[in-house]
Amino acid sequence: MSGYLTGVLVVLAFNVMAAYAVYLPLAAGQLNLGIAGFMAIGAYASAFLTNEYAWPMWAAIPVGAGLAGLTGLLIGIPVLRTHGIYLAMATFALGQVISALFLNLEVVGGAAGYPVSDYVGPNGVFLAAAAVVVLMLYLSRTRFALYLTAVKSDPTVADLLGVSVRGIQVAAFALGAAVAGFGGAFYAHHYNFVEAQHFNVLLSVFTVLYVLFGGTQTVWGPLVGAAFFTLAPELLRASDQWRYALFAVFIIVFMAIRPQGLVTTSLLRFARRKPAAESSEAA
Amino acid sequence: MTAALSIQGLNKSFAGVRAITDLSFEVPKGVTTALIGPNGAGKTTVFNLVSGVYGVDAGTITANGVDITHMPSRKRISTGIARSFQNIRLMSHLTVLENMLVGQHVRNTSLRALLTPYRLFPNHRWKVEARAALAESGLEEWANETVGALPYGVRKRIDLVRATLAGASVLMLDEPAAGLNPSETNALRDHLKALMAKGITLLVVEHDMHFVDSICENVVVLNFGEKIAEGPLSQVRQNAKVREAYIGAEEV
Amino acid sequence: MRGSMLAQQIVNGLMLGAIYMLMAVAFTLAIGVLNFLNFSLPGLFMLGGMVAYGFIKFGWPTLFAFAAALAVAALVSLLVERFAYRPMQGGDPEVPLVSSLGFLVLLENLMLIYFGSDQQAFPALVPDLNLRLGGLVIGIAQLGSLALSVLLVLWLSWFLSSTSTGRCIRTVAENRDTAVLMGIDTGRLVPMLFIASALLAAVAGLLFAVNYQQVSPFMGEGVGFKGVAAMIVGGMGSIWGAVLGGLLIGLAEVLSISFIGADVVNITVYGLLLVILILRPQGLLGRPATREKL
Ligand SMILES: Nc1ncnc2c1ncn2[C@@H]1O[C@H](COP(=O)(O)OP(=O)(O)OP(=O)(O)O)[C@@H](O)[C@H]1O
Ligand SMILES: [Mg+2]
Repeated sequence: MSGYLTGVLVVLAFNVMAAYAVYLPLAAGQLNLGIAGFMAIGAYASAFLTNEYAWPMWAAIPVGAGLAGLTGLLIGIPVLRTHGIYLAMATFALGQVISALFLNLEVVGGAAGYPVSDYVGPNGVFLAAAAVVVLMLYLSRTRFALYLTAVKSDPTVADLLGVSVRGIQVAAFALGAAVAGFGGAFYAHHYNFVEAQHFNVLLSVFTVLYVLFGGTQTVWGPLVGAAFFTLAPELLRASDQWRYALFAVFIIVFMAIRPQGLVTTSLLRFARRKPAAESSEAA
Repeated sequence: MTAALSIQGLNKSFAGVRAITDLSFEVPKGVTTALIGPNGAGKTTVFNLVSGVYGVDAGTITANGVDITHMPSRKRISTGIARSFQNIRLMSHLTVLENMLVGQHVRNTSLRALLTPYRLFPNHRWKVEARAALAESGLEEWANETVGALPYGVRKRIDLVRATLAGASVLMLDEPAAGLNPSETNALRDHLKALMAKGITLLVVEHDMHFVDSICENVVVLNFGEKIAEGPLSQVRQNAKVREAYIGAEEV
Repeated sequence: MRGSMLAQQIVNGLMLGAIYMLMAVAFTLAIGVLNFLNFSLPGLFMLGGMVAYGFIKFGWPTLFAFAAALAVAALVSLLVERFAYRPMQGGDPEVPLVSSLGFLVLLENLMLIYFGSDQQAFPALVPDLNLRLGGLVIGIAQLGSLALSVLLVLWLSWFLSSTSTGRCIRTVAENRDTAVLMGIDTGRLVPMLFIASALLAAVAGLLFAVNYQQVSPFMGEGVGFKGVAAMIVGGMGSIWGAVLGGLLIGLAEVLSISFIGADVVNITVYGLLLVILILRPQGLLGRPATREKL
């Protein structure tokens, strides 16, 4: 594999992890605009443990993810009392505060950034992203995923049917935060450098953008969205200056035509039925 | 024997306007009861108070001997009382079968149930059970459709089937026959009779008096949030207050 | 000495707060009436400053350049209405938000292609006169901008409460369905609201350019996001909430820069927002949401 291609695929792997971190709460109807903050927690925590305490990476990375998830849990409980735009803004503020805290934290280099000693190669990153995808596919086959949609669709009735709406929401939010932290930790060890400025609003917002582009009705949406958003700008390379502008036009037009996103339940069902119909015709 | 549902001294007002005033009645086990009254009498509000959508201002609500007056709404269904919705509240992003699975939740609350990848098994017992419940009402053909686009009568019956899947011993049905055509109404009556035969106690809000007459033993009449009469329908019909309440509305 | 420095910083904070206030009012019109978190507004703020800069560089008279900037912002806002708002009615609430973000990215990159990513120096238009009040130094531009923002908001609040169009807008804000039943023509009101919020944002951008004498394609982000924070701190949908929130955020920012350091601004400003959202989600002057009816 050429270095260029590997580089692009590594970016894709990070984007896929971030996408699922946004997808989990979004499937339950909660927009998390602060995902970059949770990535920062995973990245800095894992980097700090390997740098200062000489922890092995295989221990530091899960702890980083766990810390991000724990923060998500602790902050999710009060923040998830708010709904809709309030929740979006609370997570947005949270992302800003977390990244500003790291910017001011001198033990991890402050504004100058923080070099990280241990290195994870591209294959490790691919494996991590694959693990996240497998976990999400697994969850999508369970009642947990069913309740995410139920809570999004009609929280009042879900509650009356005995589903713990808050419990599901907090779990989705915290699990999403943990996934973000997991990706962040790999980011730190792959690029061997973290700086708070990287984990900014635009990172959060772009992630939300491609998840919605892919569609939140099915578990495949975030994967497709992340792939499209990572690869398409690479193909537009010729007109470097124009690519973000063209891309923005594309998003606007696309969302106006297909607000439910690219991959939808009916699309998948259609794809599944078609081969079946063909085989019955043959018979 | 404890009553299936007992309501004592219930009061509720919305922004100063009284919706329910000093309401008391009981639904004994196995006695199919109707809650009737003109539009806006407060019937749906009673259901909302019992299921916990709103808190009460005063009074107590007991289901199967358990005081649920201040119980969080989410936990009430586990005392064996479930409900349907007048304005059909199905989860429109889910398929019919998935709505049924959500209806089963209260009998499958363990972490293990939450994380079982049932969708990997085409004949998982949850799905088999849900399909069987749909089949009983002749709805199995819709199982894999998304709820959003289905005809009204179908959605109405699905809402009812979902309520039965909680395994509750008391079912509160809010206008189950509204908007159904005569053959659908007959099918509904058979369905309700089958539920009664299984020992399930029904509390039914309904405007169709022939329907009420054909299944209910006892009738509670509400007007402006107050109980104005109670007894068998034939008796209640003769009551002067009831006749007055329904003047201008439909014939009782 | 310390006291007069504090007073000076308060004046600077109020000035910055006035700009946030205009942005917050722009956001609040979109949210309170249309229930739309319009993320293209920071882009329209930037257009206010950048387009005026471009036309002045062309050699247009200043006032024409300003008028052109406002007109461009209003036109773009109509496009936002057409492509980001109108097609999404009745869908998931986060979708129009994303499309409006698409507009922000588009506007920023178009300006980037044309002007480059550097900060551009906006010409000093107002003579560098200062008013000295005790130990305080207040620039004429500062004072003028503050007065203009306050007048604009006062006028808007008068318009909403005392004209028939204003009353129609408030009915739509209360309940869209009732408004339609009452025969209010939302098809005409909605574009008007988009224009009004665009003008507020663009005026804020102009005032920013005149006061701080710099413009750049990305100038809208920081100010716009703080405008959203200001709106929420004050209470979504409330004009006076937006005023209070804007001034508070402006003060918090200037005071934390001068007494702690520039790096902590995001901690204080967004920390304030977070605390408000947790303790009082409806904001300082907002009304709490009611539970839905079954
Ligand atoms: N959430 C609420 N807020 C304010 N008022 C309410 C609320 N819920 C019910 N009400 C009022 O309480 C009264 C009773 O309403 P309810 O829906 O219980 O009537 P109902 O007997 O079910 O009528 P229908 O036969 O039309 O369904 C009505 O005046 C209604 O407007
Ligand atoms: Mg009713």
